[in-house]
Amino acid sequence: MAPELLLDSNIRLWVVLPIVFITFLVGVIRHYVSILLQSDKKLTLEQVSDSQVLIRSRILRENGKYIPKQSFLMRKFYFNNQEDGFLKNTKRKVVPPSPMTDPSMLTDMMKGNVTNVLPMILIGGWINWTFSGFVTTKVPFPLTLRFKPMLQQGIELLSLDASWVSSASWYFLNVFGLRSMYSLILGQDNGADQSRIMQEQMSGAAMAMPADTNKAFKAEWEALELTDHQWALEGVEEELMSRELDLDGMFSKELPTGIF
Amino acid sequence: LNVLIIVFTEMRDKLRKWREDNHRNSEQIVDVGEELINEHASKLGDDIWIIYEQVMIAALDCSRDDLAWTCLQELKRQFPGSQRVKRLAGMRLEALEKYEDASKQYDSILQDDPTNTAARKRKISILKAQGKSAEAIRELNEYLEQFVGDQEAWHELSELYINEHDYGKAAFCLEELMMTNPHNHLYCEQYAEVKYTQGGLENLELSRKYFAQALKLNNRNMRALFGLYMSASHIAASPKVNATVKKANVKYATWATNQINRAYQVSYARCLL
Repeated sequence: MAPELLLDSNIRLWVVLPIVFITFLVGVIRHYVSILLQSDKKLTLEQVSDSQVLIRSRILRENGKYIPKQSFLMRKFYFNNQEDGFLKNTKRKVVPPSPMTDPSMLTDMMKGNVTNVLPMILIGGWINWTFSGFVTTKVPFPLTLRFKPMLQQGIELLSLDASWVSSASWYFLNVFGLRSMYSLILGQDNGADQSRIMQEQMSGAAMAMPADTNKAFKAEWEALELTDHQWALEGVEEELMSRELDLDGMFSKELPTGIF
Repeated sequence: LNVLIIVFTEMRDKLRKWREDNHRNSEQIVDVGEELINEHASKLGDDIWIIYEQVMIAALDCSRDDLAWTCLQELKRQFPGSQRVKRLAGMRLEALEKYEDASKQYDSILQDDPTNTAARKRKISILKAQGKSAEAIRELNEYLEQFVGDQEAWHELSELYINEHDYGKAAFCLEELMMTNPHNHLYCEQYAEVKYTQGGLENLELSRKYFAQALKLNNRNMRALFGLYMSASHIAASPKVNATVKKANVKYATWATNQINRAYQVSYARCLL
């Protein structure tokens, strides 16, 4: 068991708490700055139109059984026909949104970096410089010696247990830990949430939107080809007449929608 | 003072309910809204803007241009350059029958934002108000080519086609609506009526089926019940059907008659109460 160090309570008062406050306030400021810098995502007419067409094709597949067979076939033909079916023949210009060529994405990335990464580095460095030379806190789990240079930045003690960390690492701990505090105070979708932003950046690279349209069309085409028409109204009269109509509450005034 | 406060919250909640349910009881909205704006503006806080919008549209319905103008001025002051406010200004011009100016207003919105559906739809309603149904139909078709998912537009188009007696195309529009709202008995019923009007044995059979579907979705739809009876008896009376089909339809018609009798008995019983 490593010897327990007793830290000066001044450390608690003047280091631990200020770092928490600083991190929190910086996060709040970041949130409001990101709101100010937010650029409106303008969708083009074509994107809106395409997304609605895809929805219509999906609805045709799912609920096509409620319309007569002839109508269903008519629509399926319109979408999937070999010569001029919409899904088969519409090719959209695919511009993969690489950050260099697409100007709006470039500015978005710049803004993302400026609002998030830059302050973190700056403040991390400042805290390291201001609160250096002493141990701030102890992490509750044991760490190996390899973590020492990382977590004990300004402290030159070879024998000190790696669990004792410096203020810089306390700062980083705060940055990630205060996430739930931000959701509590700023509401769900806040701009101060670092890890969510990093997650978005990672998934955004995998989710290139415009290229998807062609693939989405192809996928819909295949799915629609496989769909058959099973008319839901085949035996509707028999089902209806199997029992008497339920006329309960028919002429009551509280009926919210009209019968006619 | 407490009574006044209670009345105020009641009025505000009523307006909210009407707004959420999309009621078009414009006279009531104007009465309640006008009092709310004039007496209790300070207590409303940020709600006041959406109430201005709601009251303005209701005022236009009731030809209260004075009230509409006040609301519009307040909204313009608070949200200068907003497209939503521009659309309201356009609606006011429409209500004053200044269709050219209204059209220009909507065009300016569309220049800034070509995807703005509200402005496009207002332009089409201008055509409808001017009685230019052929043009309105054409514009609406173009609109729907871009925005296939707009159910309000499909319904409007089906109405326009019915007015022009183009029942085939009206049926197409209603089919779109039935697919997106499979549990709405009213669309099934309207579709059945259109098919019945088209006539011909195949369409009559379809209409009977859809009347039955409407009844299945809502047992209390009297119109569908009558429709079922009419279509079934029509088919049974037609000389072109064979004996089995005739027998089946007579059975359907009889069942429908029984249900109609039951419904009248229910209503008679209620009258007696």
